[in-house]
Amino acid sequence: MWTEKYRPRTLDEIVDQEEIVSRLKSFVKAKNVPHCIFAGPPGTGKTTAALCLAHDLYGENYREYIMELNASDERGINVVRETVKTFARTKPIGEVTFKILILDEADNMTEDAQQALRRTMERYSETARFILIANYSGRIIEPIQSRCAPFRFTYLPREAVIERIRYICERENVKILDDGIEAILEISEGDLRKTVNILQTAASLNKPIDAEVVYSVVGRANPYDVREMMLIALNGDFIAARNKLRELTQKYGLTGIDIIKQIHNEIFRLNVPDKWKVKLADIAGEVDYRLIQGASDEVQLSAMLARLVEAGYEIKRAL
Amino acid sequence: MSSETAFIPWTRKYKPKSLSEVVGNEEAKRKILGWIRSWEKGVPEKRAIFIYGPPGVGKTATVEALANDLNMEIIESDASTYRTEEAVRRFAGRASQYGSLFGMKRLIVFDELDGITGSADYGGLREITEIVKNSRVPVILIANDAYDPRFAALRNNCLLIEFKKPSKVEVMRHLAKICAKEGINADEAALRFIAERSNGDVRSAVTDLQALAQGRTRLTYEDVSWLASRDRKEKIFDVLRMIFYAKDASTAKAAVNMADVDLDMLFEWIYENIPYQIKNPHELANAMDMLAKADVYRGRVKETQDWTFLRYVIDLMTAGVASSWSKKSAGWTPFKFPERIKTASFSKEERMLLSEIGRRIGRKCHLSSSRAVREVLPYLRVIFQNNPKMAKGIARWLDLTDEMIAYISGEQ
Repeated sequence: MWTEKYRPRTLDEIVDQEEIVSRLKSFVKAKNVPHCIFAGPPGTGKTTAALCLAHDLYGENYREYIMELNASDERGINVVRETVKTFARTKPIGEVTFKILILDEADNMTEDAQQALRRTMERYSETARFILIANYSGRIIEPIQSRCAPFRFTYLPREAVIERIRYICERENVKILDDGIEAILEISEGDLRKTVNILQTAASLNKPIDAEVVYSVVGRANPYDVREMMLIALNGDFIAARNKLRELTQKYGLTGIDIIKQIHNEIFRLNVPDKWKVKLADIAGEVDYRLIQGASDEVQLSAMLARLVEAGYEIKRAL
Repeated sequence: MSSETAFIPWTRKYKPKSLSEVVGNEEAKRKILGWIRSWEKGVPEKRAIFIYGPPGVGKTATVEALANDLNMEIIESDASTYRTEEAVRRFAGRASQYGSLFGMKRLIVFDELDGITGSADYGGLREITEIVKNSRVPVILIANDAYDPRFAALRNNCLLIEFKKPSKVEVMRHLAKICAKEGINADEAALRFIAERSNGDVRSAVTDLQALAQGRTRLTYEDVSWLASRDRKEKIFDVLRMIFYAKDASTAKAAVNMADVDLDMLFEWIYENIPYQIKNPHELANAMDMLAKADVYRGRVKETQDWTFLRYVIDLMTAGVASSWSKKSAGWTPFKFPERIKTASFSKEERMLLSEIGRRIGRKCHLSSSRAVREVLPYLRVIFQNNPKMAKGIARWLDLTDEMIAYISGEQ
């Protein structure tokens, strides 16, 4: 996949985030890396920067010196206790005297796991350095933050993204039109991973990429079913809307949290009075919170749909 | 289908003709085959095997299939014949001493040994033991319980082979084969339900299947699920009526004690039926709200492991729902079976496949499995449907199985 094919291998290859890159290069030079937090929105190069740092530090065989864990997959206190400790305990052979542990999506770790991590970081700091990657550094506990060098990744500037798109198209022999580039930029909102995924998908159609091609592949990738479900509810058919909900979770494998996020995105695009938009946003917030607390996806979202039915009814009556 | 074949029991119609068609029990089958083959090199140490196991797992069927495979003649005695000492000797005495008749090899089978009762048959058991010790022909004994004290002497002279209950999946596969041959399009959930109910008894599963599916072209979960609720269905409807149309809060709450389904199940019934009973948009929203709150408390029970929170779950799902509407029903509406229970198991498997695909993408693309499913998989779907060449390369690179590729390429 192109996201991997065109992922920079070395710090020099990273096109943007100059300030961050120069600081990381100074670590390589000193052959010393502190614990770090890489925070920032998705697709801005956090994981890439960590891998490039490791590459420049250890050379081609850098994989032997690092461990990548994803906190969303391997969350929980036991992982920190077992896997991380086993890895962190032993000293590597070679010039650099520590290994690097990359902990992706670290903001998804439970607080208990973070507390355990904090002690592990301290105890094994001789032999292991941690790079914590997160969308929101705010969700990482204070004691860990204070032990880490913070790095803030920001959305790539337009020009850098355009340059990247053109570079890939040239290498892949893909013809892209200006309005195609514009469309990709609009949809991917500075997320380079999304940019490259859309680009590759559009290229898979084997025709020049214009805006229409981009919108059609994105439309097919993300069917507007959530919006449709909401419209069905607003029209008063709760049972049909609930069936749609079941389809979304069972056929498309969407989780309740995915759906409530999309519902929230759609609320302000609905053709309903502002008073209702705010009311619905409030309800969505409550549902979102309950889902995070572990309530049942379908029941909570159904209750939300029932409120949409009510809103539709009220709005019609007021007309 | 002629009327003649229509009445053949499917247990007979689909009886295994070959050992390979017998459902499950691979190890036992291998042992039996090994033992019977050892006769080719002369009389083995154990001249008899003792096959035992619960009813309906294929003990007799295995022996018959084996005889069929090896072209052997079965000399059989089951509980329907007398098994006194005299009768056994008459039946098997000579047969056990002379090899083949017309070149066909013989197999002596004593089926349903548990059926030997009383003193009249007791001598029969002793005679069987004698035959087992001296036979020149393979002898097979079949019973449910080999460890019955009456079989002690017999047991010592036999190779014991246990038959276990086949797994649910094995039974399901067998049922699916039958459905395919009968031209019935059966839902996986329906077959799973029948298999589950049979608890490893293949015979009873096939009998159930015939009763439920013969003459149909389609078999859904709904068609079979009534089996479980045969006696309970009426009752759950009464309970639901009591909750939805309760005169007051305590009546609604009391309904819970009448229900003989567990609380989660009752919750599903209420959840499914709210929109069918309550049509007014305000009332519907309020009732769903009550149920959603009950669900929150249910989560708190799980989280704290403190079961006292259950009382709030009950309050909200019964009295809460009852009091949130005027009970002016637009007319009698039948209660519906909860949809979610029907589809849950299916989606669980799909979910597992999905998260494994996510893991494989994530491993290569440095993403969590859930993020890969959310952010990368949708694009892969489009690529897989459009560009087989690019898809092939990606599939190889991600190390996807054929099942995964089929899933991603599927129009859904």
